[in-house]
Amino acid sequence: MILPRRFFLIGLFLVLATGQRVDEFKFPLKSNSVRFAAIGDMGTGEKPEFETSEQMNEQRKNFPFEFVIALGDNLYGGHSPADFEKKFASPYKALLDAGVKFYASLGNHDDASERFYKPFNMNGANYYSFKKGNVHFFALDSNYMDPKQLDWLQKQLESAGSNEWKICFFHHPLYSSARKHGPATDLRLLLEPIFVKYGVNAVFAGHEHVYERILPQKGIYYFTEGSSGQLRAGGLDRSSITANGFDTDQAFMLVEVADDQMYFEAVSRAGKVVDSGVIQRQQAATAAKP
Amino acid sequence: MNTRPRSAIQIRSAALLAVAVFGSARIYASAGQGSQAQNPPAQNQPQNPPPDLKSPGFQEFSDRVQKYVQLHKSVEATVPKLKATNEPELLVAHQKILARKIKAARTHAKRGDIFTPAAREDFLKAMASEFQGPQASHAKATMKQGAPLKKVHLHVNQIYPEAIPYTSVPPTMLQKIPKLPEELAYRAVSSDLVVLDVKANLVVDYLPGVIPVEATDGQ
Repeated sequence: MILPRRFFLIGLFLVLATGQRVDEFKFPLKSNSVRFAAIGDMGTGEKPEFETSEQMNEQRKNFPFEFVIALGDNLYGGHSPADFEKKFASPYKALLDAGVKFYASLGNHDDASERFYKPFNMNGANYYSFKKGNVHFFALDSNYMDPKQLDWLQKQLESAGSNEWKICFFHHPLYSSARKHGPATDLRLLLEPIFVKYGVNAVFAGHEHVYERILPQKGIYYFTEGSSGQLRAGGLDRSSITANGFDTDQAFMLVEVADDQMYFEAVSRAGKVVDSGVIQRQQAATAAKP
Repeated sequence: MNTRPRSAIQIRSAALLAVAVFGSARIYASAGQGSQAQNPPAQNQPQNPPPDLKSPGFQEFSDRVQKYVQLHKSVEATVPKLKATNEPELLVAHQKILARKIKAARTHAKRGDIFTPAAREDFLKAMASEFQGPQASHAKATMKQGAPLKKVHLHVNQIYPEAIPYTSVPPTMLQKIPKLPEELAYRAVSSDLVVLDVKANLVVDYLPGVIPVEATDGQ
């Protein structure tokens, strides 16, 4: 519909003058949807981690997410019982007490013993999968992508339903515009063809202490959220593949998968929404054949 | 894809764009393919192919690994089985006990027991193939992603230092060297290739100076 020009000018004036949103993003909060949060590189035990988790708890009042995927570096430094308490159990106490489950992947600062820490729901495995509604999650160990894990992943993806969302999460980003490390291109050489072949829809990673959303690469959406405890202020060097990013405060993501749409927000420690959008579920580029 | 950036600056600039292009405040971001993959520059061709995984050096390595795993299993059988727990005290205690018992069972272990001289030759060839071949830049980039702090001096039967991060071993490299059983994993520590007992967090053996990487702070 084409509206008179003066409506645009009035609307434009209001937007510029007040900064208010004309078309506000909202999660649909459908009854059968899958709602979760994503955090990465959080396990510092420092004040920003606590404040970020407090903000997650605050956001949960309006967006009741059921679980959290942790993108690695769950515990920095030592792994004594006190470290587990200070860097995880304590900062996320309110969420844990509310019954929110955490599903962890291992980062380069994580000890293998974390696999057996019940609140991480890894059941002793470096890599594992789980289903929530119409979403199949695959938690990978990007520290050690050996042939055995690659075989496992292919079999898991092959057996996943064609009408399911397939979401992978792990620590090292396959695409990144951050200054510190950049993309894990070696890992990408092996994982990306599998992701494409079996129709992975979205990938979440950490490692870089910033938030970044990448333009779809070979039809796959990539997010980096590695600033839920750590932060590398100014660490994002936006590139031609950056769709959006945020590197001035800690952040986390909220996600709702409702039928064939995935709604997402990236939220700062202060509660500011720094990115949001909706993704339509893509079909596999090449149908997996048994 | 439909995106709605929400910071004031983003909203203003996005609204301008949207009004100009679509005549509404709805903002459409590109849902197409990202335009550029981040690929390192092309590399030289490999000078030599990697050794066959059935080569004598790798076979000897795998035999030594199997002997170690037998020892590991025999020791582990004397320790209460580890199950998922809410109590990190149990995790830490299990790891420490296992490490202590394994160390006690191989007090005379020394560097080269697993990475024998023949194995070393094959690993060196595999490293050369990996780090000088067409995928060298990818492998080096992966190493750089999480290479541990500066130079770390390891020794056999050492508990892996808890404050030092792990390096993600280039997955393409893992395809060129013998597979390890679940009790063990390769780790890259600075320029050293390490065989780590992941359950005991113990350095089983290492091959010094075989990985051509620059150390970073590993954050």
